[in-house]
Amino acid sequence: MKKLFITILALSFAFVSCEFDKGFEEMNVNPAKANQIDVGNKFAWTALQTSGGRYENWRNSLIYNSVLIQHFASTAGYWSGDKYYRVNSYATSLWDRNYPSCVKGIEDIIDQLNSEGNTGTEMGMARILRAFIYHRITDTHGDIPYSEAGKGYIDGTLKPKYDAQQDIYMDMLSELEGAVAQISGDSSMGNSDVIFGGNATKWKAWGNSMMLRLAMRMTKADPASAQAWAVKAISAGTMTSNDHIAMIAHTDGPEGINKNGHGEVFQVDSNARMSKTMEMHLTGDPRMDVLFEPGSASGGVQAGMPNGSSGSDYTDLDGNTVPGVATRHAYSAVASALQGRDVPMVFQTYAEVEFLKAEAAIRGWTSGSAETHYNNGVTAAMKMLKQIYPATTAITDAEISAFLAGPGKLAASFPANWEMVMNEYWKATVLNEYEAYANWRRTGYPTLTPTKHPNSETNGQIMRRMIYPGGEASTNAESYSAAVARQGADDWMTRMWWDK
Amino acid sequence: MKTKFTKICVSFLMFFALTLSAYAQQVTGTVSDENGVPLPGATVVVQGTSTGVSTDFDGNYSITASSGDTLVFSFVGYATQSVAVGSSNTVNVQLSPDNSLDEVVVTALGVKRNTKALGYSVTEVDGTELSANPSTNAINALQGKVAGVMVTGSAMGSKGSSRVVIRGTSSLTGNNQPLYVVDGITINNNNLGAAGVWGGTDFGDGVSSINPDEVQSISVLKGGAAAALYGSRASNGVIIITTKNGLGSEGLGIEINSTTQFDMINTSMWDAQTTYGSGFNAIVPSSTEDALSEVYSAWGPRMEGQLVPTWEGVQRPYVYAGDNQDKFYRTGTTYSNTVSLSTSGENGNTRFSFTNLDNDDISPNSTLDRNSIGLNTSQKFGDNITLDVNMKYLLEEQGGNPRLSDAPSNANYSLKTYAPSVDVDFMKGPNGNGTNEAGTELRTTNGIYSQNPWFAALNFVNDAEKERFIGSVNARWDLTDFLYVRGRIGTDRYDLHRTVSTPFGTAYQPLGSISEYKLAFKQFDADAFLGTDNLALTDDVSLTAFVGVGSNKVTSESVSANGSNFIVQGLVNVKNTQNQSNGYGFSEKQINSAYGSAELGFQDYAFLTLTARNDWFSTLSMAGKDAPNNDLYTSASLSVVLSDAIDMGSNVDFFKIRGGYSQVAGGADSPYALSLTYGIVGQGHLGASLGAISGGRIPNSEITPFEKNETEFGFDLRMFDNKVSLDATWYDNATIGDIVGVSASATSGYGSALANLGEIANTGIELLLRVKPVVTDDFAMELSFNYTNNDSEVVATNDTGGNISMDEPRSRNLRVTHIVGEKYGALFGNSFVRDASGNIVHELVNGYPRPKIDNSRKILGFGVAPQQLGVGASFRYKDWNASFLIEGKSGGQMYSGTNITMMGAGLHQVTIPAGGREAGFTPDGVMEDGSPVTISIPQGQQSAYWGRYNDAAEAGIYDSDYFRMRQMSVGYTFPSSMLEGTFIQAASVSLIGKNLFFLHNSVDNIDPESAYNAGNSAGLEWFGLAVPRTIGVNVNLKF
Repeated sequence: MKKLFITILALSFAFVSCEFDKGFEEMNVNPAKANQIDVGNKFAWTALQTSGGRYENWRNSLIYNSVLIQHFASTAGYWSGDKYYRVNSYATSLWDRNYPSCVKGIEDIIDQLNSEGNTGTEMGMARILRAFIYHRITDTHGDIPYSEAGKGYIDGTLKPKYDAQQDIYMDMLSELEGAVAQISGDSSMGNSDVIFGGNATKWKAWGNSMMLRLAMRMTKADPASAQAWAVKAISAGTMTSNDHIAMIAHTDGPEGINKNGHGEVFQVDSNARMSKTMEMHLTGDPRMDVLFEPGSASGGVQAGMPNGSSGSDYTDLDGNTVPGVATRHAYSAVASALQGRDVPMVFQTYAEVEFLKAEAAIRGWTSGSAETHYNNGVTAAMKMLKQIYPATTAITDAEISAFLAGPGKLAASFPANWEMVMNEYWKATVLNEYEAYANWRRTGYPTLTPTKHPNSETNGQIMRRMIYPGGEASTNAESYSAAVARQGADDWMTRMWWDK
Repeated sequence: MKTKFTKICVSFLMFFALTLSAYAQQVTGTVSDENGVPLPGATVVVQGTSTGVSTDFDGNYSITASSGDTLVFSFVGYATQSVAVGSSNTVNVQLSPDNSLDEVVVTALGVKRNTKALGYSVTEVDGTELSANPSTNAINALQGKVAGVMVTGSAMGSKGSSRVVIRGTSSLTGNNQPLYVVDGITINNNNLGAAGVWGGTDFGDGVSSINPDEVQSISVLKGGAAAALYGSRASNGVIIITTKNGLGSEGLGIEINSTTQFDMINTSMWDAQTTYGSGFNAIVPSSTEDALSEVYSAWGPRMEGQLVPTWEGVQRPYVYAGDNQDKFYRTGTTYSNTVSLSTSGENGNTRFSFTNLDNDDISPNSTLDRNSIGLNTSQKFGDNITLDVNMKYLLEEQGGNPRLSDAPSNANYSLKTYAPSVDVDFMKGPNGNGTNEAGTELRTTNGIYSQNPWFAALNFVNDAEKERFIGSVNARWDLTDFLYVRGRIGTDRYDLHRTVSTPFGTAYQPLGSISEYKLAFKQFDADAFLGTDNLALTDDVSLTAFVGVGSNKVTSESVSANGSNFIVQGLVNVKNTQNQSNGYGFSEKQINSAYGSAELGFQDYAFLTLTARNDWFSTLSMAGKDAPNNDLYTSASLSVVLSDAIDMGSNVDFFKIRGGYSQVAGGADSPYALSLTYGIVGQGHLGASLGAISGGRIPNSEITPFEKNETEFGFDLRMFDNKVSLDATWYDNATIGDIVGVSASATSGYGSALANLGEIANTGIELLLRVKPVVTDDFAMELSFNYTNNDSEVVATNDTGGNISMDEPRSRNLRVTHIVGEKYGALFGNSFVRDASGNIVHELVNGYPRPKIDNSRKILGFGVAPQQLGVGASFRYKDWNASFLIEGKSGGQMYSGTNITMMGAGLHQVTIPAGGREAGFTPDGVMEDGSPVTISIPQGQQSAYWGRYNDAAEAGIYDSDYFRMRQMSVGYTFPSSMLEGTFIQAASVSLIGKNLFFLHNSVDNIDPESAYNAGNSAGLEWFGLAVPRTIGVNVNLKF
């Protein structure tokens, strides 16, 4: 009996059934997820991520860029941009949000289109959007992961190298050229293309217009290339009307992703005020009462707040007393028409294109009339408002004509004419703060007086770039160090390639 | 308050009603040792029945027995004695010491084993240690009691999770908590929510559902050898909880255990400055606007009673407003009442219990209400079949859970950061709840991300309801006198419903939001095994063995409905929102197993135990996968009772040496991690559906479980009539192939990638010394010391040996990071630039020195304390008893966000230089050229200095050492003589206290045990709810 038992024991133990994992393969397939989805679903999501959420639109776009560039001003201590405070997480918010969302999304879309053998319109659209995503990040930080970015799953690259900004620009330009050439007809993506509804003409126009934007960005660093690419872009056909504006329509919900990120900020943060600089530039401009409205304590008059203002008096770096601002309500607020969560987010406008063409003409790169391009730009910039924002922002033809004949009449000679064009570019890029900040660094227009707050991280100079996320120094140390060695110290005043 | 009063009255009424119940015929007597000293806690059982009692502190017992019955008397360390009941109603016995201990502990798979046969360390804690001084999370009662077991509560008040780690962590990023087994069935211990860098709430863990009043004993299986039989889920050790049964009850046994506890905020370590008030640059707020922006800025001038504008637009004297914590937190109350009925007879026993726990936490509006029912029954069918059925049902409601970490709606944050002149009492507003006339948040600052603490505590909804059922059926069929079959099925299932709402009118979300979340969790276990007990193979060799198969399946499914922007103010309903969305989650996984164990005994003093187990994982199964989805692992352990094998003299009562080696597989917890998936997200956009890659982790189809190997040696020595005992263990364990998220730069699009690359090692010692210096008739005292030291080392992280980044605090200048060659969980952050002598280097900014900060990250400390010491003492004088437990941890560090914030806000004492701020402040350190700092910073510039200073994570690093009076109690047991003639068989009352004071605390202002996260990122603190002081009364009555 005992022997029998021991035999049974030994046999049972030796018996290991092959069926112990029966059904496990099926069980480990997630019933709530798919192995692949339609590229259109991804495109819509990726484009909305590019428009962005409240997070980065608040921190990078508004708290830093909008006041750095003196579109707006604010007394709130955490509005770091016009007092040049250091807040690492604000400075890196575009990077922090874009790489895991729209960068990852667009690389996945291109990977899918490649595997599906798509070499046509959709691929062209994806490449144009890709260039747009990366150029904003490189314009913000300089050298960035580009050629190896967003490919953690596709090819297992976990620590992408940083490409030199010059190489990124050259690649983006040739990407845009190739992308535009691929667009052969309207995309079947339809309303999944939340930018242009699949319209081939508009995509081509945007591709070329972005090529022009990138080309002009290089005027300081590499004027020859800048000219070559600008001429190529213009001859290939840029945006020709406000119908071509590259923007994403938003709705007020149901979720955050549906909303305009700036609008979400305005819902909770009323610190943004018209800057004194802006007041000066809008005097005599019909946009004054469209873009801004008098503060509740300003006695009904438009008033711009001096940049660098604080709630109380302080002694600035030059030893001067900067008077405190008792209440921000004494200054003009951003017009409520601009604050909607359901207004479109603008990527690039026809007006900007005309201004860049005016500059190209001033530089003698094209034979067109600078004044015509400038007038087209101003007209488009004023008329586009009602196309983007509610009808209350409409500006009449008469007001436009009066402006162009009056204070807005283009100066006849260089550099006054160039300055006017760029000042108009600056006005036309309110709430397109990434672009306004980049263009100012390139051109120096409009002329901005830096503020001298004693807690300035830059000793009272306007920052030239945003610093890299702190985590990169540890999680991607090798690539980060190489970028810093090439570009210069990872601080606010190091100038990136096109800004040298 | 009224309902509380009613509850107390009902408790007393029940008490009197029950005293009228039945009374039975008794045999009484005294049990004493060889010297005639009474033996408290000796067991008296009527042979052949399950009727049994324990002796009281005087060694007295009273038991129902008839003439002709045999009473069996037993006590640890003494030979068991049997006495037949004669005509006399009194039976006194004297026990003699027995060197061959027959202590039995519950080990793996519920098998009771003689301790002398165990080749590994098991510590058993008696249930009375939990029920006499209960915590709302029962497992916290283990703090400082068991060597090798580190228990850390979270800064969540009464409802938080506890982190329990046995013999160091075995996984870098995976679960490191032990497996909990209740009455033979594994239960789920998921943390239901945790606070992270951006805030959040911890809704407690699985083990917090265990009712301390129901616990008979807790066995901690520390080693891998002990855990091998539970398989991969036990790779972090096993905590076996056995709940009370009806055994030993005479006829109908009724017991009432009632505890009332009061919790008070402990501000003894709080030491904010109270000299300088709200303001900036030494200037008082000059307007309401100023006051609003400066409530968190204690950079005003000295408070001298001058009238200054306040945030609410009035003028008040500028004086210290008093301690806002005392004004805000309330005295918490916990009423815990248990009634149990038990009965036992020849063929079985049954125990039923009901417990109501009603807790109002110190944080206003935070409540916990828990009702538990337990029913345990064991019944013999015929001669050969025994059936045990254990059921627990629990209904728990949590209300007003505080939010931790980052500021939005963390009341602790606002409260503790107000400048000393700011009075939280004025913030109640016209409605007394932090709202203004319109019912929206009464704003006390112009920043939107720090809430009025009253508004945060009283208006936010952060509630949960959990209904849980744990049940098991365990059948044993004795096939022959040496062969049995056991089968067991069990389930743990709960439904959780959570409602979280940001109210209408909250500054940072003016229209509010709401989320309803329902989770259905189901775990099912089944085991069957065939075994033999003590089969004599030869005269000298015996065999105890079993083989079995088992299966564990876990399913969870969640549904959520979310809405933002309330339409009708005050209607907190998800349908009353403009923007609505929903969510759905599902997960299912299974582990199947085959296992066996054989214990060979030689002459009853040497024992060799061998085990083997193979686990198959659904989570590692995928069509086409090359790597195996299963793992076989084994263990061997040897125990030799030297004191039985050779004569060691009369002073040695017992001496056992033991050693073992074990393997156990682990990890692979998450299903669906092998391939990339996509999901449709949100509700679309203007007619377009939105789709994206699910998750931020790069999947890997080739992962396998990790393997943990452990070697341990130890001994158990008892000397001088058991007056001194020492249990010592040395262990060394290593995890190989840990499934880690290989760190990825966010620019890869992902946060991490999975791979079997982690390696981690722990070496440690565990000591438990018990001394009974005095044992007399009237007075006895026992001292116990337990000491743990665990040295951890991260051996490998990933392919490149790069760091593994864990959580970060809100300041985002530090991360808990695993670094090769270092201890587990380095606090890795930026630091001050220092010269060769360690002086802080300063630079001039605006003409004044400011510390230079090195933004490359350095190791600043380690968040896990390696050492733990518990010192316990218990005393008995006649019917009085007293005890205390001092518990401490040392050798670790923490990052204190509270202190960092206090520095920036001018609240920290370091911001007041000797001579006051007016006298100027010259920082210690050197300038960039190496010369000492000589420039004095005037008062108006000091905030800029500290604003820079606290940018260095180093500024917030503290040693987290502490020693605290964890528990104290004084009790009185009514002698049986006093109860004679009443219906009460036993009665005791005790005064209890917990966390009363610190003997040592090396952190400024806060309790070192204020981590907001019970996960693997130990050592991060950010405005948690401090562990309160507790005093209370416990009454225990038996009828």
